[in-house]
Amino acid sequence: MSQTRVKPDHGSPPSIPRWVKASAIVVIVLVLLFVILHLSGNDFGPAMHKMSFSSIELGVQPL
Amino acid sequence: MTLPPRLRKLVLTAHVTFAVGWLGAVAAFLPLAVVGVTSQDAQLVRSVYMAMDLIARFVIVPLSFAPLLTGPLLSLGTPWGLFRHYWIVAKLLITILSTIILQVHMRPISYLAEVAAKTTLSGAELHGMQIQMLVASAAALLALIVTTALGVYKPKGMTPYGWRKQYEQRRVSPAVDVAT
Repeated sequence: MSQTRVKPDHGSPPSIPRWVKASAIVVIVLVLLFVILHLSGNDFGPAMHKMSFSSIELGVQPL
Repeated sequence: MTLPPRLRKLVLTAHVTFAVGWLGAVAAFLPLAVVGVTSQDAQLVRSVYMAMDLIARFVIVPLSFAPLLTGPLLSLGTPWGLFRHYWIVAKLLITILSTIILQVHMRPISYLAEVAAKTTLSGAELHGMQIQMLVASAAALLALIVTTALGVYKPKGMTPYGWRKQYEQRRVSPAVDVAT
């Protein structure tokens, strides 16, 4: 005999899964690493993108 | 809004094609970046940066924007939703970030190609840019492999928004969860 029954609600949303927490920690570590690299003078990022073409040409050897 | 099955398959096919095509293009870009940094052959290095510019401009950039259209369309057109599951939110964030970072890197790619078209590449600043291309393309490849894996494995986890929506739907139509 079938019986109509709704799954019980637990009243609160489920907790954040472990894989989401672990990924968030990895992302935060990577961002911190990137910021530290920048502050320590190892310019890998946007500062390099702003470089003008004339400054690049200083390092160019003509053929 | 739910997409009709035929249209859903069409959008899914387009989404997979664009996303995997983007991954493949970055996979082709990475060895060129490695050769650009490691090779001693000046002519080869010049050709490499001109090829990288072409690949980035005509393949990678268009393919990076396409999944931003097909992905949300597919999510919103199916019961998955766009913000209901963590894996979909994660994919969306990675795709948006990757596209932004790619746009930022288009300038140095074009600079390197422009210099390579005229002369040989040397100097500390250019070497820094060449290293940057290598690091950025390796990071992009890793990010795109992660998004592909997320799409295949679909790890469990519902967002508070998704949970609330599901709760509302159960209240409206409890027959969905009827146990026999």
